[in-house]
Amino acid sequence: MNSLKSHITLILALISIMLSIFLFRIFSGILYKYQQNITDNYSIVIVSSSKIKSLPLKEIKKIEPIDINNEIKKLKQKYKNIDFSNIKMPYFYKLRLNILPSPDELSSIQKKLKSFSFVKKIMTKSNSQTKIYNLLMLLKIVTKTFMILIAVLGFLLILKQLEVWKLLHNERMYIMELFGAPFWFRGAALFKIAFLDSIIALIFTFVIVYFIINSALYINIINELNIDFKVDFIKEFFILILVSFLISFISSILVIIGKK
Amino acid sequence: MGKIILAKNLSISYDRAKIISSSSFSVENGDFVFLTGVSGSGKTTVIKTLYGEIKPSSGDLYIGEFNLSKISKSKISLLRRHLGIVFQDFKLIPEWSILKNVTLPLLIAGIEKNIAEDLAIQYLSKVNLSHKADKFPEELSGGEQQRAAIARATIHNPVMILADEPISGLDEYSASLVMDLFKKANEKGITIIIASHSIPKHFNINFKQLHIEKGKIYELA
Repeated sequence: MNSLKSHITLILALISIMLSIFLFRIFSGILYKYQQNITDNYSIVIVSSSKIKSLPLKEIKKIEPIDINNEIKKLKQKYKNIDFSNIKMPYFYKLRLNILPSPDELSSIQKKLKSFSFVKKIMTKSNSQTKIYNLLMLLKIVTKTFMILIAVLGFLLILKQLEVWKLLHNERMYIMELFGAPFWFRGAALFKIAFLDSIIALIFTFVIVYFIINSALYINIINELNIDFKVDFIKEFFILILVSFLISFISSILVIIGKK
Repeated sequence: MGKIILAKNLSISYDRAKIISSSSFSVENGDFVFLTGVSGSGKTTVIKTLYGEIKPSSGDLYIGEFNLSKISKSKISLLRRHLGIVFQDFKLIPEWSILKNVTLPLLIAGIEKNIAEDLAIQYLSKVNLSHKADKFPEELSGGEQQRAAIARATIHNPVMILADEPISGLDEYSASLVMDLFKKANEKGITIIIASHSIPKHFNINFKQLHIEKGKIYELA
């Protein structure tokens, strides 16, 4: 019973740590994709008195001219008494940015643009996507804090488990040491337990992860955000197996070294 | 023959108290030695020093080629693989069967489990315990546990057996069986060092006595 208890404690601790790492990575991945999506769709429109090929601003990724011929055609039809051929039309451009600017960054970009004499008008948008993004950023901070808390609790559980392991394995390891057993031999039983518990914890974690990824809530969120986000299960598997093995083997080594 | 133990001006301290001060003695290969002294005289401390659990505070203590005053931790493990140690409280691994306990020194030496178990069965029959091979230590009497411990201490053909009060707490019959096992091991050329407050009665073998008194070790004739 005690042995089962000691297994469950380590397995639970490993699951909580692995899940918090996995969820944090997924959440960060979704946010990154969403941010990219908004950034790609975000632009500043400027009206210029002359043609622009490039601007010396590091924030600008691309300058796209806006075709206003259709608009002029419409105007011509509406105002037939005006001779448009005598009017010099300004040039309209969409500026695509490298980043999704914060309000401060946006005002800085505007200021820089205004410093060019040929720029006559600047139109920016603070759309609903930015608000959602800010909300998600807030959620990211809350989730990060929450997951760090879970991971810390997991580590505390493992530390508690180390004490139990010390009591359980101390005598055997001491006797082995008296007969000249090397480090790996004394720790063999612990390493076996750690390996087994890591595998069990990994299986449980992946079952939970599978249900999360295939849940209606998760699928809806991804659809609502309109992003193309897929979990790389092989990569996540290797990251989690590495974390799991590292934690349990370091724990085993601490028990062997810390033997009284 | 050659000396297996050589102590020169050996001093041993334990928990800041000086237990042995500036003593010199030697033990020849194949000797049967009783380390005697009253309770608390330092017999266990000397035994522990001989298997590297306690480091001498000054002087030199050689076991074969190993100088225990300057030995590294990895060398201690190496030294212990050439020793057999028997304790008053047996120190059998409680969650292992008697058979597995006896195989311990062979498994540490890297011998295959099947071969180690076959040899352990032979050694258990030498100590009349082959019928209890599958039992766990707590299922055996004190005398039986000590015999199993001796089987464990001899299975790897050690150069020396160190025994700390191996018969105290055992009844007379068990004590004489245990002493017979030490004699048989000694007949095979293994050096035996037994820490005991007295020499067992009717002990008909040539032996050497190292006696501890007032913190000094004396070689008695």
